[in-house]
This record gives sequence, C-alpha cells and structure tokens, in this order.
Amino acid sequence: MKRFLRENSLGLVFGLLFLVVLVGQAFAGHADYNQQQLAAGMEPVPMGRYLTSASFAVDVAENWQSEYLQFFLYIFLTVWLVQKGSPESKELGSEGRGSDKEQKVGAFATDASPRWARLGGLRGTLFANSLGLVMGTLFLLSWLTQSIAGVAAFNEEQLRDLQEPVTWARYLTEPDFWNRTLQNWQSELLAVASMVILSIYLRQRGSPESKPVGSAHDATGVEG
Amino acid sequence: MRLLFVPLCLVALVGCAPADDPAAAETASAFLRAVADRDGAAACDALAPAVRDKMGETCAEDILNASLPAPSPVTDTQVYGQRALVRLGTESVFLGMFPGGWRVVAAGCTARGDRPYDCAVTD
Repeated sequence: MKRFLRENSLGLVFGLLFLVVLVGQAFAGHADYNQQQLAAGMEPVPMGRYLTSASFAVDVAENWQSEYLQFFLYIFLTVWLVQKGSPESKELGSEGRGSDKEQKVGAFATDASPRWARLGGLRGTLFANSLGLVMGTLFLLSWLTQSIAGVAAFNEEQLRDLQEPVTWARYLTEPDFWNRTLQNWQSELLAVASMVILSIYLRQRGSPESKPVGSAHDATGVEG
Repeated sequence: MRLLFVPLCLVALVGCAPADDPAAAETASAFLRAVADRDGAAACDALAPAVRDKMGETCAEDILNASLPAPSPVTDTQVYGQRALVRLGTESVFLGMFPGGWRVVAAGCTARGDRPYDCAVTD
C-alpha cells in the first residue's frame, strides 16, 4: 500500500486536489447562486438542486473544455513545432512523427511494448495517436456540454430578466457562449506559452518540467 | 421533468431541452382564470411574494383592474431551472419556483424584441 502510494503520488495528489477544489467550487457557486436568487426576489435553493442545475454544469464544463483543448493542442503541435532552448520541445531537427524504429512500433516493438504497438492498420494508428485523440474527444464533449448546460443557464437568466429564451443553435451565436469559451481559451494558451518560453531561462531543480539547473539556455529537449 | 445535469457524464442533448412542466402551466392558467372570475384573493395568492408585496393591501382589487387577458389554452411551456415561461395564446406569463410551488412573477406582458417584456403585473 505504502509503495503504491509512493509510486502513484503524482496522479493521486492531483486527483485528490481536483476533488477538494470541485467541492469548494460547489460551495462557492451555491452561495453565489443563492445571492442572485435573493436579489431577484426568489428563495434560496438547497445544495442538491444547485448541483444538478445548468448553472453549476456550465461553470464546470467551460473550464474542462479549455483544459482538454490545451492538452490536445500541445500534444499535437509539439509533434511538428519546436522551441529552441525549451525542455517542453523536442530537439531541433527532430520535428515529425519519428521513424518506426524510434517509436518502437510494428517490427521494432519490444517484448515490453503494448500489444497494439505491434499491430499495423487501424488499431496501430489509433494507439499511436490515442493520447491526442482522447484529449481532443474530451475537449469536444466538454465543449458540447458547456453549450447545452450554457443555453439552459442563459435562458434561466433570460426569464429572470423577462426576456425571450433562445434555442441551442441561437445560443451558439450569443456573446455569453463565446465570452465563456474565449476567456478560458486565452488563459490556457497564455499558460502554455509562458511554460514554453520561461522554461528556456528558468529552472526548477528536480522537476522533469525543467532542464537540469546547469543546462545551457539553448539546450533543447533536455528534461531534468 | 426537472433538468438533471451531471458534469461527469458529458452528455445528451435530449436532457437539456426545456422541460414542459404541467404545474407551471396550471399555475398560469389558474391565475388568469381567477382574474376572469373576479376572484382577486385567489389571483393574489398565485403571485410571487415580491409582486404581492408591491401591490400591497389593495392587491385583490388592483389585480382585477390590471388589464389582464381572459385565459386561453396553454400553447407553450418552457422551464429553465427556477424560472418558467407559459404562453396562453398571445399572453405570456413568467413564473418562479418557490417552496410552495410555481408563482407568477410577471403577467400581462408584451414582447419588445430583444428588450425585456413590458408587463402590466410585475415586481
């Protein structure tokens, strides 16, 4: 058990932090929702009702979609794009998908390789792109969820303001949908750009996200 | 049926269509029926607390003089969270969900395009 915890501490800690913060968001969101209810002459709603509301769902989904978009873009773009001096980048000149030998696929697979890495055809292609594909799929599903929950939350506000509700298709053209979407996208893209650039010149001793402290600023594709 | 959103289950367009809540439609109909029957007390009972407070002690009389239309059959009901819009012919009634059930938030409303409805009865 102790060994399991140590060997999986990164995933476990982030999973736990996610749950703690999600619970915190639920309490803060519930309080905020009820403040708006009271301001509009309505009654507060219990936590259970808030947790199943479109308001909570859209607030969660709009952040999820941007996170998955960030990783989807990062995974795919780093295949082809490089950044001199960044540990987040491959070495200069190694842009592209790599040879079968480098990637240990097909005839070059080892005994320790996953079974689908030895296969050609659709299964081999799917496995070879599975990380990006899953991130991309989760992005699209989260964004779809944002739009669906978003139109319901938006229409609740429309009715509160004695305005006409809109259809889902119309909501996709509303400023509310794009404001929620783009404010999250810009922050994710800023975070990635910051990581790529700052890691050229700055170090974090012991972190695989950083180059070794003594590495040259122009050393690319080196992880500490 | 109440909307159920489970963020972990990244899902279903069908669950997010506006709910068609018969209780909201019934409250709107009963409200307009009470006005048509000249039963001001019953009409005021159907109002949201803030609207009733605004109308004050003369609510039962004033509500009958608010130029509200006679009740027509319900043609559309849209429920989003704690709010509902019920259409009865050309009349639109806005409702809110309270511990005692649906209550009328605005009635006698005229559409004004993208601007808020202009309502004869509201808070």
